[in-house]
Amino acid sequence: MTVAPQSTNQNPITQAAAVVDLGLSACEAYGRDDLAGRLAAAKRSLTDPSVHIVVVGEFKQGKSSLVNALVGAKVCPVDDDVATALPTYLRHGDEPAAELIFEGDPPRREPVELKDIERWIVEDDPTPRTTGVVSAPATVREEQPRPAGVEVRLPRRLLAGGLVLVDTPGVGGLGSAHSTASLAASSMADALLFVTDASQELTRSELDFLAQARQMCPTVVCVQTKTDFYPAWRKVRDLNQAHLTAAGTDIPIIPVSSTLRSRAVAANDTDLNNESGFPELISFIRDRVRGDATTRLASEAAAGVVAVAEQIISQFESEKAALADPAAAQQVVAQLTQVKERVEALKSAAARWSQTLSDGIADLTSDVEHDLKNRIREVIAEADRAMEDTDPADTWAEMQSWLESTVAGEMLANYTLLRDRATALSEQVGQHFQEASGEVLRQFPVFNPTPLAGSVDVDHNIDLEKMKVGKQAMVALKSAYGGAIMFVMIGLMTGITLGPIALGIGVIMGRKGLRDEKKKQVAARQQQAKNAVRRYCDQVSFVMGKDSRDTLRRIQRELRDHYTALAEELNRSNAEALRSATEATKSTQAERDKRIKDLDAELTRLRQLKQRAEAVTAG
Amino acid sequence: MNLLDRTRSVLDRARQLYRGTGHEPRLAEMGERLDEPLRVAIAGRVKAGKSTLLNALVADRLAPTDAGECTRIVTWYQDGHTYQVTAHPRGEQPRQLRFHRDAGAIEVDLNGLAPEKVTSLTVTWPSQALRTATLIDTPGIGSLSDQVAGRAFELLAPEDEETPADAVLYLLRHLHRNDLDFLRAFHDTEVSQPNPVNAIGILSRADEIGVGRLDSVASARRIATRMAADPNVRRVVQTVVPVAGLLAETAATLTESEVAQLRKVAELPVREAESLLLSADRFVQQMPELGLTSIEREALLARFGMYGVRLVISMMRHKVATTATELAAELTDRSGISDLREVLSSLFFERRDVLKSRSALLALDRLTRTEPRSGSEAVAAEVEEIIASAHPFRELQVLSAIRAGWVTGKPDVVAELERLIGGAGAATPLRLGLPADADDPTVAAAAGDALARWQRRAENPLTGHELAIAARVAIRSCEGMLAALQERR
Repeated sequence: MTVAPQSTNQNPITQAAAVVDLGLSACEAYGRDDLAGRLAAAKRSLTDPSVHIVVVGEFKQGKSSLVNALVGAKVCPVDDDVATALPTYLRHGDEPAAELIFEGDPPRREPVELKDIERWIVEDDPTPRTTGVVSAPATVREEQPRPAGVEVRLPRRLLAGGLVLVDTPGVGGLGSAHSTASLAASSMADALLFVTDASQELTRSELDFLAQARQMCPTVVCVQTKTDFYPAWRKVRDLNQAHLTAAGTDIPIIPVSSTLRSRAVAANDTDLNNESGFPELISFIRDRVRGDATTRLASEAAAGVVAVAEQIISQFESEKAALADPAAAQQVVAQLTQVKERVEALKSAAARWSQTLSDGIADLTSDVEHDLKNRIREVIAEADRAMEDTDPADTWAEMQSWLESTVAGEMLANYTLLRDRATALSEQVGQHFQEASGEVLRQFPVFNPTPLAGSVDVDHNIDLEKMKVGKQAMVALKSAYGGAIMFVMIGLMTGITLGPIALGIGVIMGRKGLRDEKKKQVAARQQQAKNAVRRYCDQVSFVMGKDSRDTLRRIQRELRDHYTALAEELNRSNAEALRSATEATKSTQAERDKRIKDLDAELTRLRQLKQRAEAVTAG
Repeated sequence: MNLLDRTRSVLDRARQLYRGTGHEPRLAEMGERLDEPLRVAIAGRVKAGKSTLLNALVADRLAPTDAGECTRIVTWYQDGHTYQVTAHPRGEQPRQLRFHRDAGAIEVDLNGLAPEKVTSLTVTWPSQALRTATLIDTPGIGSLSDQVAGRAFELLAPEDEETPADAVLYLLRHLHRNDLDFLRAFHDTEVSQPNPVNAIGILSRADEIGVGRLDSVASARRIATRMAADPNVRRVVQTVVPVAGLLAETAATLTESEVAQLRKVAELPVREAESLLLSADRFVQQMPELGLTSIEREALLARFGMYGVRLVISMMRHKVATTATELAAELTDRSGISDLREVLSSLFFERRDVLKSRSALLALDRLTRTEPRSGSEAVAAEVEEIIASAHPFRELQVLSAIRAGWVTGKPDVVAELERLIGGAGAATPLRLGLPADADDPTVAAAAGDALARWQRRAENPLTGHELAIAARVAIRSCEGMLAALQERR
């Protein structure tokens, strides 16, 4: 095994891939296929890194035009009136192709002609989404389920390297249930392009959305569109920059013109392309967004190599210690034997980390459930209070949209609680494992969760495949829960409805002389409305509760499997060390000297590998 | 006794009852308001183009407009003999302010008054357009400053007082959930219920819908029609009219020199002109040889917008219109402002008395409920009696019931009912679906037919309960039309 001198100005992915390859051949050379498995998983995600950029914004701000202009093709339909209704995922492919994605586990895919996707993406019925309710599918599509998204593959340089652009439906009133769903989705994205046109300053709801999104997503950029059409775009940009600064966010603004860019691409006009502002946006995407994501991936993969190298190094060092001093060899063997027992204990269910995990999950399950119940109860109480003073006949429509968006907001808060607590638990379990393993074999550092393992096999939607936080819990969360949340919410919005409230003509025609009768009717309607609210909340709690329990179970399984495998690795390393140390006590001086020389050479190589991997980790 | 007289008489009674109390000025104002022009508030989200539309309606550049958020104080524009601006500071006497006109727009010198202390400004301006309606410009909702946004709510849906506006033009850019909440707040009152009778929706900045394509206005018309048919919109506004406020404002104040400047661009070879018009930046910066300074070009963009500049140049080139007069007429026509004026006159101005009475009765109802004193029940009862019995109010009630989807029946029957009780406008020919210039015998015949038809419907046992009640109102409307024809003869 040789280690080539490292080149510094290479793409981090290439560097990481080279280091991982070296690590893999080391594993093979030393017969450690268990360690190789981990590296193989890291390598898979390096060869297909997915970086999700989600394009969000209000209705009719030019999101689809922006996406089209970015890839230089008319993929997403653009119209004055009808709007995008399905998320569209654009990723790289050698041939243009499109697939419909249907909900399911795993999601069902169905190829579709590229030219036909428009019919799926746009709204069937261009009635405005005033209450945040997604319009019902048209009759033509009633025979088959509505797809959850459309995936388009295009041979574009921008997309090569794992970039996935996601065009989303307009949130139709930021602050609605729909926008909460978009926020949930953005927590899974690597970057968020927030689209607002140059016709006016950011509004209150846009600014609120941006501030929230900033907390959910590591990279947020505000793209100001239609600069060709609005002469005062510079002024609007400056005003917006001031608003963003005042809101305490560091979100940059990139002004662009999709019209100019599309023309520039068609006419191959470099000047016009520069005028469009797209070069800046593209280099932002390329350097900041993809750069950040690939650096993260590369450093995570390299960290895996470091851990693997360390395990083998410590195994060789024990052997070397036993070889170097025959007198001490017995002691080393005795120590390693002791360690063996402790590693066995580490593997058992009685180990502290394992206890922490099962107790933690049990606590978390009940806390999350309690939190959700509490939240829903408060929503109901607030709804009841609101209805005391009003006649549902007048306020029902508002009530519905209020309820939907409030419940969605509470669901998001509940999900955030689950995410944060699960992350903390994962850290705690890791720490306990580390402590226990450190105690038993101080020389074996434990590599805390490989974030890349176990996730590659799940191919769901924008959120699932790759992740930004290097925590095992996030993997489980993203694949089990986070992925679902957007759809859970949208599903709730379409699947669970409050239903209309029956009205008597008395409401409208009633004279004041009929006040008593009117009062009675109002009271009846209030009762009806309250029941409807309760029914709705019950269903939401039911769906959401089941979802959380499943997620937590999955997190538990993933963490348990992960640490058990790690304990198994340690066990194996220890066994190897023990075996070689025992052999060392029996060998002759000449054999020993030769072996020590070999070991020294191997150790040097391993240390070099470790160093090189560390360099990649440091970025 | 007509509605206005009945309202006046009950107001008089209330005035006697509350004589000597602190409510006298309030009652006096209610009385004066009955005789003033209709007060029309222009409301909408931030940057919807409220001030621009106001200028277009007055055909003068009075209200200042800007790319940033501009209107921050509620401003009344009313007709008068002299030019003057009055500030109404919170809790203080109104005071007159100095002002000057900056490129037409009125720049007010607050003279040390903090803007947040000023409840409203009143601009008195001798103007034909302001004689039929006093216009109220409001700060946009969705403003980043909660205080500024709050002012529009304060004006249109005050907590403890009657709303000072008789009717409202609500500007929508594209439909936003907040818009509807806002409208509901305005209509949340006893007499009206959620009521579209005194609100018109305007799809504003219609020239921007297609982001500069020349068919933008046609697109806007289609969208407005679609919006007006949406049940959520129908229950709050009577109809939705697309208006390109900027085009209308500019058309009303177009100058020869602006036309001459644009002609220079129109006379360029097609390719060069196209390249120049590709973006706002290009229009300002490229082709210095054109003989237009960048300041002149920026001014043109501010006046016409990209769409307007492209439209005017295309019209000049195709010889559709070349002189300032022709261009002004053409721009006015395309801006949709004439359609809006027509809609305003049929839906608001012809119903002026009803809207005025409605405002006054609402105010009285509120006063008697919040400030009861011995004898006020009698006044309250009379107000109730007028509201319940006066036919125009019955019409409005049925109208809002139809709009809210509470009256059901065959679609064409419901549509006829809506028209008959004044859904498309209060004028008799409009109610009967006849051309405006139909002669009396035709009108009489149509009214007679409608009367018979609705009598049948009202008596038909298969007619739904709600529709039957509404039918009785329709019968009364037909009788009223026939009676009016009789009088004229």
